[in-house]
Amino acid sequence: MKKLLSIAAAAALIGTFASAKEVKVGVVLPLTGPIAAFGQTSKGGLDIAYEQNHKLKNGDEVKLVVLDDRGDKVEAATAAKRLIDKDGVTVILGEVASGNSMAMAPIAEKNKTPMITHASTNPRVTKGKKYVTRACFIDPFQGAVMAKYALDHGMKTAVVVTDAKQDYSVGLSKAFKKAYTAGGGKVLKTVLINSGDKDFNAQVATIKELHPDIVAFTGYYPEAALLVKQARAMGVNTPFIGADGVGFPELIKIAGKAAEGFMYTDHFNEAAASSPEAKAYVEAFHKKYNKPADSMGALAADAYGMILSAMNQCIDEGKAPTDKECVNDKLRHTKGYKGITGVITINENGDAVKSAVINEVKDGKFVYKTTVNP
Amino acid sequence: MDLSIFLQQLVNGTSLGSMYALIAIGYTMVYGVLRLINFAHGDIMMVGAFVTYFVYQTSGSFTLAVLAGILASVLVGVLTDKIAYKPLRDAPKISLLITAIGISFFLENLFNVLFGGVPRAFKAPEMLTKVLHWGSIYLPVTVIIIPIVTVTILIAVLWVLYRTKYGMAIRALAFDIPTVKLMGVNADTIIALVFALGSALAAVGGVFYAVSYPSIDPLMGVIVGLKAFAAAVLGGIGSVTGAVLGGFILGFTEIMVVAVFPELGGYKDAFAFFFLILVLLFRPTGIMGEDLERSRF
Repeated sequence: MKKLLSIAAAAALIGTFASAKEVKVGVVLPLTGPIAAFGQTSKGGLDIAYEQNHKLKNGDEVKLVVLDDRGDKVEAATAAKRLIDKDGVTVILGEVASGNSMAMAPIAEKNKTPMITHASTNPRVTKGKKYVTRACFIDPFQGAVMAKYALDHGMKTAVVVTDAKQDYSVGLSKAFKKAYTAGGGKVLKTVLINSGDKDFNAQVATIKELHPDIVAFTGYYPEAALLVKQARAMGVNTPFIGADGVGFPELIKIAGKAAEGFMYTDHFNEAAASSPEAKAYVEAFHKKYNKPADSMGALAADAYGMILSAMNQCIDEGKAPTDKECVNDKLRHTKGYKGITGVITINENGDAVKSAVINEVKDGKFVYKTTVNP
Repeated sequence: MDLSIFLQQLVNGTSLGSMYALIAIGYTMVYGVLRLINFAHGDIMMVGAFVTYFVYQTSGSFTLAVLAGILASVLVGVLTDKIAYKPLRDAPKISLLITAIGISFFLENLFNVLFGGVPRAFKAPEMLTKVLHWGSIYLPVTVIIIPIVTVTILIAVLWVLYRTKYGMAIRALAFDIPTVKLMGVNADTIIALVFALGSALAAVGGVFYAVSYPSIDPLMGVIVGLKAFAAAVLGGIGSVTGAVLGGFILGFTEIMVVAVFPELGGYKDAFAFFFLILVLLFRPTGIMGEDLERSRF
């Protein structure tokens, strides 16, 4: 039962003057559907970055064409195609979920249109692709950070919970298991769930039976919240560790007290923001939304900033900012870009090399614990 | 798997199954009368859960909230029938089916636009979220309440169907609408009654679903609706008792697949539907369904 509704929301154009041209940036996000919080928070950060700067060096105006894919792979691919064919965008920003980005990537590749995902961490998103870049680290790194943290804290046995429907979760589980076993840990069992499921009592009973030192949850927040809630209700007090897919206020809202102690790796925590770029963003974020700045928004803002920077470099070289080849080349060779989530350098695979933070839920808040460098 | 874990899984299966059963009753009743698979049924459940959520938040009274949720679902159900299905009474069944899918999309997207797609945390009163211990077995109170409610409702629905004049009219409609009309029964009123009943049950199911899995979003009805539909078909669509039976069987199958093969837990839906296919291979009319032409509740 897939609904075929894409809400196209074009950002308002303010103060264009006759000579300035319009450069279109396509954006594909899950603004509704099961992982809507990812899309909404990404959009929140993107809006701030856009308000701060939407003019290129030569006076051209950047215009965002935002499409909602409802978190669906097929819709994501359709949206990417539409952006290229109908809207004629120069570059595409998106998606959040790795599975959705992977559905879009071949289309970007085929049409030689640069695509940058701000938050998809599965290695396969950029693997073998010439036109796909990302503004975030990848899962082997994230999985290793999770594994190392667990082992450093004396947690030697783990049950891994994998969301079988999400490429992100499958990849991350693999990365975690590899690093965890290599470090001397023992994975007792891998339990599968499906995104969209609400009943995890059977899985919880399995965890209870095995009583591991830690549960490594590699899926997204809606399932994380219900799983941890059902686990605590059944008397399972095993600590949980997750990754960047769980760090959303909804985790705490839905799981309530059960979320206490849930640890996860993330891209950004405003408590650790030290660079002037990060501080300016956090300040603007507080002013506009009156809540703590999240990592999805910060990543989206960084991806947008990287696009602008690439376009400006093309202008410097006397090329048009709509020159897809040039923009792609500059994106792929981003070096030392001073972003909100840290200094971003893109390696030969198109992946960003940068640090991760570890957060923990404490008293109903996400509390910064530590930063881990690559 | 030791005994206590097995018993725990049994408890889990009962809770999940009775929720499917509650929603399946509505599916099967509408089908029995109109031969219509009301695909919007799961979304009517979602409406019930959402209205309950909002009223509980503003008023603080859960009873009032549940009543408002039921009322809203009944209204949406009856209105859907009046606006979308009634004009198509004489049209081919397939047009009706497509309209039902359209209504389903409409409701989902309407709520998406109005309230956004981000899941909301459904807060229930303490009384309903308590967990009882019995040895090493954990019993959330909902696990006890839901099956009792489901069975009570089943008995009530059967009583209405077999012991009241309205029930007689509903059963008669299922056989032959034109003849019933000739007997001086207002068919449209009775059909509206069926939708009202079915929608009310969907709302009750929605509230329990939201209490048990406290995250609601506009698409929450999609999967549950499909499962309840499968439950209704499994039990023999058109049979109320069959729907309840089908719900329990489906719930148990899902839980047991995960319990016995945790590595295959991600495919539990596939198992549930595979089981459905198996049953239909040997009993094409479902467990309780008799001859498709003769089975009426």
